[in-house]
Amino acid sequence: MSHLKAAASRTLQLVLVLWAVVTILFLMFRLMPGNPLAAYIDPTFTVEQQEALMAQFGLDRPLWEQYFIYLGNLVQGELGQSFRYREPVAERILALLPNTLVLTFSSLIVAYAFGILAGAYLAWRRGSAAEQVAIPLVLTTRAMPEFWLGMVLLAVFSFWLGWFPAGGTRSAGAEYESLLDLYTSGEFLTYLALPALTLAIYSQGLPLLLMRSNMLDVMKEDFVTMARIKGLSNWTVVVRHAARNALLPVMTSFAIAVGYQLQGNVVVESVFSWPGLGRELVNAVSASDYPLAQGAFLMIAVVVILMNLIADLLYTLLDPRVGHA
Amino acid sequence: MREVAATRRSPGLLARLFGALKLPLNDPFAVSGLLIYAIFLVTAVFADQIAPYDPTEILYTPEYDLAADLRPGEQGHLLGTTSLGRDVFSQIVHGTRSALLIGVTAAFMVALIGSIVGLVAGYFGGWVDAVLMRLADIAFGIPFLPFVIVLAAFLEPSIWNVVLAMALVLWRDTGRVIRSQVLTLRSRGYVDAARVSGSSDLKIILRHIAPNILPLSFLYGSIAIGWAILTEASISFLGFGDPQSISWGYMLQDAFASQALAKQAYYWFVPPGICIILVVSAGFFITRGYENLLFPKLGK
Amino acid sequence: MTETLLSVRDLKVSYRVGRGSLDAVDGVSFDVPRGSILGLVGESGCGKTTVARALTRVMADNAFISGGSMLFDGRDLAALSERDMNALRWREIAFIPQSAMNSLDPVYTVEYQLNEVLRLRGGMGRTEARKRCEELFEMVGIEAGRLRDYPHQFSGGMRQRVAIALALALNPKLVIADEPVTALDVIVQRQILDQLRDLQRQLGLSVILVTHDISVVAYICDRTVVMYAGRVAEQGTMEATLTQPSHPYSMGLRNAFPDLQGAASGVLTPIEGAPPSLADPPPGCRFAPRCPFSIEVCASVTPPQVEVEPGHFAACHRAGEAPLLRERARHVSTWMAEA
Repeated sequence: MSHLKAAASRTLQLVLVLWAVVTILFLMFRLMPGNPLAAYIDPTFTVEQQEALMAQFGLDRPLWEQYFIYLGNLVQGELGQSFRYREPVAERILALLPNTLVLTFSSLIVAYAFGILAGAYLAWRRGSAAEQVAIPLVLTTRAMPEFWLGMVLLAVFSFWLGWFPAGGTRSAGAEYESLLDLYTSGEFLTYLALPALTLAIYSQGLPLLLMRSNMLDVMKEDFVTMARIKGLSNWTVVVRHAARNALLPVMTSFAIAVGYQLQGNVVVESVFSWPGLGRELVNAVSASDYPLAQGAFLMIAVVVILMNLIADLLYTLLDPRVGHA
Repeated sequence: MREVAATRRSPGLLARLFGALKLPLNDPFAVSGLLIYAIFLVTAVFADQIAPYDPTEILYTPEYDLAADLRPGEQGHLLGTTSLGRDVFSQIVHGTRSALLIGVTAAFMVALIGSIVGLVAGYFGGWVDAVLMRLADIAFGIPFLPFVIVLAAFLEPSIWNVVLAMALVLWRDTGRVIRSQVLTLRSRGYVDAARVSGSSDLKIILRHIAPNILPLSFLYGSIAIGWAILTEASISFLGFGDPQSISWGYMLQDAFASQALAKQAYYWFVPPGICIILVVSAGFFITRGYENLLFPKLGK
Repeated sequence: MTETLLSVRDLKVSYRVGRGSLDAVDGVSFDVPRGSILGLVGESGCGKTTVARALTRVMADNAFISGGSMLFDGRDLAALSERDMNALRWREIAFIPQSAMNSLDPVYTVEYQLNEVLRLRGGMGRTEARKRCEELFEMVGIEAGRLRDYPHQFSGGMRQRVAIALALALNPKLVIADEPVTALDVIVQRQILDQLRDLQRQLGLSVILVTHDISVVAYICDRTVVMYAGRVAEQGTMEATLTQPSHPYSMGLRNAFPDLQGAASGVLTPIEGAPPSLADPPPGCRFAPRCPFSIEVCASVTPPQVEVEPGHFAACHRAGEAPLLRERARHVSTWMAEA
């Protein structure tokens, strides 16, 4: 029962944070210097279009009225019209979301799989030469700008060796029925490889160091010693007992990592011309396409906030000690 | 006797400050980190003397052609020139200035705001704590880099955008950690003892609590330097930086826009990247050294 | 089948410290008769836990057996290969830890952890293991329905019972219990000790009970080994050692503990001072600095084990005068003068 209570209070928190971010966004775009209407109305729109937009978003009303209209619109998924593309922002955002998610999750899964195994291994091989080299190396991977790493990988694997394409999600002229078709096509993997690898290299540091640190702590625990006194095999002791306990915080960090990864996405998508939310945000801001910029930012924020909630819930779910009376 | 019940009196604020500045000299990586910082600091201060040219100056060959796309070593340019005819090495040297400037300022803001929030929330508890922690939740819900980009939409391109954004959002980690540290300290006897003996809240905070959280603040501050430099690099790379200030991020953007990859002009983007890696890694190593000093793990 | 299950001779266990080493256990010898409970008693740091862990050959990273032998059913545990030793673990030598909360994996149910031992170490099939689980729980007095629970869902006393059930899972010959009731309150202590004694009698187990609490020893042990500063001070049957202590340390111990059964035993008198540092132990008898009866030879010559009566030994130069010293030990002033 307390499981439900915890879930409920956290969902409430999510709504609160979401509301706050949405409000901050509203204030930012409305209160920006210059023409306040510029957030929604492009001067190149026709007069009829402008008037329609004014009515829809209540741009001639006082600020607090605008706010409620804004919230109402949001709840209905109405995010305005993109200046550049003359199409609804919501549609465009939703079309791009899968690309970003595919990139984010594939790179994170690789990063975590590697990080967990490497972290456990380093904990196992404490004090070895491998550890002395590996740790500073891992720290260095966190010190490099992701886009720089992307550029280096491009230089080596795409321009020099020619193994991978230089950007995009598909070859020029290739047509696919649906996104699913695209994702399951063979060539998609070659396009995904470098950007995902770039993000993975940057992100593996956290799970690696976390897993290693947790393993080192857990290995000192009494139940691990007891497992040895019971005569259980190394595999059982290290994997079934130590790693299983050490894994818990790492798994919850995965959910939060998605949120942080999305930021890295922004630059990597730009380097690899990956048609995702990040690149869209950058282009929209550069082109002063405010509705689109708002929409892209909002979508990213929603994913981040959602992932924070999932991280919280995951922890209560996975740890048998939490949630019991 | 006022201090009778106090089991432990923390040394004064200043004394603790200097104590915290103890340099982690036993860790070879931390030492190299400090060395790297020192080198970059000196370079930043004496940039004008060290750099052979003005970083923004467009150079010409003796034949009055644009001195563009020169390879390293050609015509005396240590790292070659950009496609606009600017000396790469001079840009690298001057880049240290904005890197360190932004890094330290932003880190200071993050550490300061985070520490104050953590202190107040942890010490006073109650609704103050609740409000501040909800603010932290909101800060955690704001995707940082996208936020900086959106800010760039409204504000003039400036290196201070990054500092502002970090001050608004990135205090969140520091805030939470400092808060839990303060909560632990609060539960110790001497805080209650000081209260009972009539010390004001401010005095207690300054005397007993602040000195104990200062090391943690420094720790997070030093990590934040790295975040700041990386963020600035990303922002400049995306084109939202200040074109007047030649930062390493700007160099990378310039390189990418000038088709460095296709032209195989590695000397355009590899050096600035290496510089960033060096400075940020140095920060990590120093932080690790401090961490081992302040929170030694037995048998580590 | 010989009468003695375990015979420890001159056992030395050392810890690598810095460039040198420290002898935590310095020449300990004792026998554990088959089907009896032996109490290994002494203050913290005397080396009793080190001896217990040495018997399992699972020790701290920097610990190692530096001498002596541990003959278990004729095989020297100190000399066995890791593989052979591992074959013995839990099947013949089991361990009950001090704090069951910390020694049970929090993320697995109790049943899982029992099954782990039964199937991986005992080679049992699923149904056989399940039956055994229920049997074990019944033995220690926990209802079978609780098998599916997690460790944190049990109370302290119940957890200790789980630990006992775990230890008995494979019908070991020797059970080593390291301070099994120290973390429990007095009433529960008694219940657990009763349980332990009943099981021991029922199954014919041999038990080594490590404790710092002499009243626990008095409650269920058949034989007692008193350790001090890495060495054996006195050993013998429980009655003999406790009613007729022949080493000044044991005499002092008796004064320092209330009787478990609550009977008035006189004034509580602690022994002044502290045990010596094992990094730099004093020459001769290690208790001499604190001993009210020490004479000149005590500070230079290590006392031999003197057999004051059959099977009852005391490592004291003045063991012959034990009855006289015992009488003097009863008076508080004897111990005060040592300050």
